[in-house]
This record gives sequence, C-alpha cells and structure tokens, in this order.
Amino acid sequence: MSTTPSLAKPAAPADAPPPGRRPPRHRVRTRVRHVALPLGSLLLFLVLWQALAASHTWSETLVPPPAKVWDAFVDVSTTHDGVRGYNGTTLIEHLGISLRRIAFGAGLGIAAGVVFGLLMGTVGWLRSLFEPWITFLRTLPPLAYFSLLIIWLGIDEEPKVTLLAVAAFPPVAVSTTTAVAAVPKSLVEAARALGASRWDTVRDVVVPSALPETLTGIRLAVGVAYSSLVAAELVNGLPGIGGMVKDAANYNNTPVVLVGIIAIGVSGLVIDGLLLRLERVAVPWRGRT
Amino acid sequence: MSSSEVTEAAGATAEVDTSAAGSVRIEHVTHRYGRGGEEFTAVGPVDLSVPAGEFLVLVGASGCGKSTLLRLIAGFERPTRGAVRVSGAEPRPGEAAGVVFQTPRLFPWRTVRGNIDLALRYAGVSRAQWPGRRAQLLARVGLEGTERRRVWEISGGQQQRVAIARALAAENPLLLLDEPFAALDALTRERLQEDVRRVTRRTGRTAVFVTHSADEAVFLGSRIVVLTKSPGTVALDLPIPLPRDDVDAEELRGSREFAELRAQVSHAVKAAAAA
Repeated sequence: MSTTPSLAKPAAPADAPPPGRRPPRHRVRTRVRHVALPLGSLLLFLVLWQALAASHTWSETLVPPPAKVWDAFVDVSTTHDGVRGYNGTTLIEHLGISLRRIAFGAGLGIAAGVVFGLLMGTVGWLRSLFEPWITFLRTLPPLAYFSLLIIWLGIDEEPKVTLLAVAAFPPVAVSTTTAVAAVPKSLVEAARALGASRWDTVRDVVVPSALPETLTGIRLAVGVAYSSLVAAELVNGLPGIGGMVKDAANYNNTPVVLVGIIAIGVSGLVIDGLLLRLERVAVPWRGRT
Repeated sequence: MSSSEVTEAAGATAEVDTSAAGSVRIEHVTHRYGRGGEEFTAVGPVDLSVPAGEFLVLVGASGCGKSTLLRLIAGFERPTRGAVRVSGAEPRPGEAAGVVFQTPRLFPWRTVRGNIDLALRYAGVSRAQWPGRRAQLLARVGLEGTERRRVWEISGGQQQRVAIARALAAENPLLLLDEPFAALDALTRERLQEDVRRVTRRTGRTAVFVTHSADEAVFLGSRIVVLTKSPGTVALDLPIPLPRDDVDAEELRGSREFAELRAQVSHAVKAAAAA
C-alpha cells in the first residue's frame, strides 16, 4: 500500500509525527498518486479517443469525437431551442429518477438480504432450504426475469424496482449468512458468561461481528443493481438514465448514449466511494476479531 | 506418601456449607467428549468441595481436563455423570460465576468503556449507576483513563485487565479464571497475579483459577488441587498456609515456605503427568 516507506528517503524523520498521521511529504506523494494517476489516464484516454475519431476509421455515428459528446452533454443538461434536456427531462433529473429507483429497489433487496442472512446464518435448516434458491437467483442475468416481471407487474415502477431488489438481494443474503455462521464462538460464549440472553447475543455479538461482511455484500449489491439499471429501464424507462440510453440508441444517437453511459459510470464510482467511506467509519474493527 | 495423607485430610474437612453463595460442590463428576467409538473421557471421577471465600487453584499438565472442569463449573457444559452445584444450584452461564478466559475475548466493536457497560447492562445494573460502577471497576484493575480507547489499541495485559473488570461487573460471588495470564510476559503476569489476589481478597469472592504453573498456583491459591493426566482426577489436595493479607508480593515470592510449597506442587504436577 501507499503507507510503505520509500527506500530513497528515511521514513521516520527525527520529529516523528503523532501516531496515525503519515509524514507530510508522504501524504503529498500519496495524494499525487491517488489523484494524478487517474487523471493522467483519463487524459490519455481522451487523446486516444480524439485520435481515433479524427482518423475516420469508423463513421461519426459509431465513434463520435469527444467534442460531440460534450455538446450532447450540454444539450441534455440544459434547455436549448425550447427543448428541455432529453425528451423534456434534464440529465440530472434522469439520473435522479434512476437513483431513486435504485434506492428503493436495492434498499428493499438489501433489507430482505440482511433478514434472510441473519435467519439462515443462525438456523441451519433454513440455510439448507433457501441457499439453493438464492444461488439459482444469483446466477440468473436480470434480463432473464425482467420479461416475467413485465407480465406480472406491468410496465410502471413496480417491475423496475422489483428487478433491482431481486438483483440486490442475493449478494447481501449470501455474505450475511456466511458472516453470521462464522461469528466467533468465543465471543458468543463470553457474552453468555456475562449474562447475555439469546437476543442480547444476537444484537450485541452476532450483528456487529457480521456487519463488515454485510457491508461488503451491500457494496456488491449496489454494484449489481447499478449494472442492472439499463435492463430495468428497457421498457417504459423514460424518464430515467437507462431509459434515456435505450431511447437514444433507438435513434442511433451515439453521443447521448455515451453521455448516459458516462453518467451511470461516474455516479456509480461516486456511490461506491461513499459506501467505502461508510464502511471505514462504521466498522473500524474490520479484521480485528 | 505425604500427598495421599494431605488428600485424606482435605477430604475430611470437606464438611462445609455447600449452599453458601460462591461455594462449589463437585459430586462424582465424570465428563466425556464425543460419542460412540470416538468417546474420550476428559475428567473424572472428581469429588471436590470449594467453600465460600476460598481461592482454589487447579494445576495440571496440558490436557488434564482442568479447563473442562472450569467449563462445568461455569455451566457451559453439563457433566456426563455426577452433579455440579454452585451456590447450591445447578450452574448456568452468566448466573453462576464471572469468567475470565485464556484470551481476553473483548468485543472489538466496543471501546473499553463499551465492553464494561455491556457487562453492567447484562448484570441488570440500572443505567444511572453505570458511570460510578464503571469508574470503580476500572480503578480496581488499574485502568483509569482508558475508557475511550479501542480494545485493539491497548496492550495484551491491559486487555486482560478489561476482561477481569468485565467479569467482576456482575458481582457474582464466584470468579472463574482459565489460565488468564498464560499469553502475557513475565512482568505483566506477576503484576496481574498481584491484582487478582488483591481484588478477590478485598471483595471476598470465591475463586477457581486454572494454571499449569506451580509458581502461579502457590502465589495465588489458598488451596491447590493437582489433577492427573486425562482423565483428570485429584492427585493432590493441598492447603496453602501462606499469609494472605497485605503481604509484600516480593517478600512472599522470596520466602522459604514459598519455595518449598512450589517445589512440592511442581513435583506433584510432574508425577501426576507421568502417571
């Protein structure tokens, strides 16, 4: 990791900083690495993209230059010539509507996953009963059951939210089950020796000891829900960022498709970063049980 | 042999009040692990009475079943045969005794303070009394000022002190300790031995302490029971006539009586392990 002292310069200066803080020079270098490298690679990517587009190897419909995509970005973000964003909705609104679907859907799936995980991790026969079904569900691509959800639930919000919930459920259920089943027996015994009831033990030992794994499962679940977003918005997805991508694709509007893809990817990065930070704050004891 | 005489003598004086709070009675106890062909007798048959207020140390080589005996007294397991009584009743975890394990077993998601508070809550102490009781417990094990620390930020010795404070929270009249200092360095171990000696004497608790160290046994115990190799049975039951009140630990450890008793116990442990 970046905390490894460099060989060229002595790692510990005479006036050692307080524990937990890295030496300032080191921190600067770490920041450079964390910021400059990704930015550099992004720049390189843009240059290569521009070169590829300028070479006209493929038509502009297939590979639009970055500038065109930028124009499309500005177009769908603002009102211009009396047209508001894309199909009457700005990019940020499309994204917001999709994020709300993800929040509802993944939220439901995560809640169900935690409950199932707790039950399956504690009661052996429940695990034997449900595990094959969850594994079955997990291996299915969301598109496979989307058609079924349309038949059952129509084309409004219900199938979309359900799809995201079904996609988010298995990772959380699986990780929570494993973590609960692996709760250190020694700590359960210690709690019992202090006079804990069965419920006390679940609340004060099982749940916190499973929390790090569950949070990892939640990150995975949000990732899965995110990658199912376009699928969820395939039918009647407008407004919605996935619906926008689908709709623009129908008109060979590659710049808007690219704007949509980039918006999904960037917001996904941001959310994953937030979840990672939440994990660090919420479970500082990770790896110390 | 002199050891068998001592055993008889202790057996004769075993007529004690076995329903008194903190007393332990082990009646013809045998404990087996596993079933069928894989069965293995860990302990027994053992008969043992621990009157209230005694500091009993169980000594024996590894695998002689001393930890099993402690788990039976704590109520974590029921004996295959015979009966265990703590304060006159069948022991149940969390009611029978405070337990200090070989490792601290602290909850890493809670601070030092959080670990103590949890023990106070389980003990049924009302929330208003927590700050006072917490301070008292931490002072008793010499941990003032560490309340807000994370448990992995403090040393192994300090962690074991927190574990002791936690075990004392419920004010059970019986304290069980299973080789609690085995993983600590010699200096920390001696300091903690002195602390345990002081705490149990001050609070008048009965204690059952498991160790494989003859030195630790003689320093802590008011009575020592040496167990044979598995299945563990009583090989030697020895009262320790050393002074227990306000003694200088260094002086005690350096005394001739101490050395003689230690040699006697050490010899008995080796003989029991070889038998």
